[in-house]
Amino acid sequence: MSQIVCPCGKKLATIHVTEIINGEKKEIHLCEDCAKKKKLMFPVTNPVVDLGEVLGSIIQAAGEAGSDELQATACPECGITFGEFRSGGRFGCPNDYEVFRRGVDPLLERIHGTAEHRRKRAASLAPASGKSHDDRLAELRAELRKAVSEEAYERAARIRDQIYALKKGKDHEAD
Amino acid sequence: MRPTDLVEQPGEWLRGTGALSDIVISTRIRLARNIAGYPFVTRLKPPQQAKLSQLLCQVIVDEGTVPECHYFDLKVASAIDRRLLVERHLISKEHEEAEGERGVAVQATEAVSIMVNEEDHLRIQVLHSGFELETVWQAASQIDTAIGERVPYAYSERLGFLTACPTNVGTGLRASVMLHLPALEMTKHIEKVFLAVAKINLAVRGLYGEGTQAFGNFYQVSNQVTLGRSEEQIVREVAAIIPEVVENERRAREVILEKSRQQVEDRVWRAYGMLRHARTISSSEAIALLSHLRLGVHLGIIAEPNIEAINQLFVRTLPAHLQVLVGRELDATTRDVARATYIRRCLGENGGS
Repeated sequence: MSQIVCPCGKKLATIHVTEIINGEKKEIHLCEDCAKKKKLMFPVTNPVVDLGEVLGSIIQAAGEAGSDELQATACPECGITFGEFRSGGRFGCPNDYEVFRRGVDPLLERIHGTAEHRRKRAASLAPASGKSHDDRLAELRAELRKAVSEEAYERAARIRDQIYALKKGKDHEAD
Repeated sequence: MRPTDLVEQPGEWLRGTGALSDIVISTRIRLARNIAGYPFVTRLKPPQQAKLSQLLCQVIVDEGTVPECHYFDLKVASAIDRRLLVERHLISKEHEEAEGERGVAVQATEAVSIMVNEEDHLRIQVLHSGFELETVWQAASQIDTAIGERVPYAYSERLGFLTACPTNVGTGLRASVMLHLPALEMTKHIEKVFLAVAKINLAVRGLYGEGTQAFGNFYQVSNQVTLGRSEEQIVREVAAIIPEVVENERRAREVILEKSRQQVEDRVWRAYGMLRHARTISSSEAIALLSHLRLGVHLGIIAEPNIEAINQLFVRTLPAHLQVLVGRELDATTRDVARATYIRRCLGENGGS
């Protein structure tokens, strides 16, 4: 095949697209830059979870739940408002977690299923209090894995709910 | 030292060794940390950001807190140098494209890389070949403790380590395992694996992190939740699912050998033929063909080249690596020609018959 120059005239066409509209065939030859601009590169073939997108929608939803007053609240340390955090998705400083707590805690609940940190390495060093509880959790997790490997998703969902319930109960005990 | 000096060395995660290494390419742990008393990166003023970069470089590299590290200043690094670091999984795409004072400390073996002023002040990463979550976690934890003893981290009793994005708060830990799953893809069972992984709150992603699609049948499985459970628990949860995914891939490999040996053999040998004889080849085509070749070696269909050589080709045929190896900048068209030439040379020399 002879070399074709992209319509932009700057580079050789390396992307070749055949369009068939109403039975009429049309060939397009573009360089990499123009193909990118037309979003013709890298067709998505596998559904892969886009965390950024998911997070964006979660933050939006959490923000809507907040009052106008919360939206306009600004952090005295870094100056960011809750509204700005909502649209950008990033905090301005560590202090924001406290300043916007009313809006952030529900958000953390949605992302992580909790708004509280379970202590770091201390957890592995300290002897497990209420060991039977932990054992039950481990049992349930094993059951969950088994259910998943057998593709018994309904059973898996029930076990998952049990695990959540058990963990919630434990959180209250700890309080 | 320049990033281009890394091109010739194999890189820790490309060794093709470690547990379950026929299917598990690599294991990575990253810890997100911020320094108390500074705003997060998006709110740092340029002089403040410069000062913080300098401080962290001094603590990590100059004071030897993490031994045998070299610091690459990304503000002054060339575009090819930065791309090269992305291709070697030492920095993120975001870090490559950002502006301002930032860098990365890389340990000589490339098993450890610490990004400075990415989304968080510190992103500590440990990356090993094969399925080595426990070892990798121990190594990351040690580095984290050593740095944390010298600079105070932003930490709250209630929420743990505080991060710029609420998806990382708590442990700041992301454990991810990269898998090569061609047989699950061929038998169309890959969707089921995605579903199973999603059900237990883990994420599946493509080769180069968030938002990238899977190509060459490479997938990353990682945790999403970072808050409310201990590091060990997160590591255990990710570790528990991997042998099951591996087992499923193994079974799928047996099935395709049993039921469609001819087609699989044909696919492998065609891939080998194309790689050995093509005159122009794009990066994505090379990855797809190398993926078939890798499967062929593990199925015993083809004896040569060895896995390490194939792993090296995956990385060395990426655009920045290729340009460094060739020794000059190339546009997409000439790159495809240079890539084909490079692959032919490698397989001709090491690939037998």
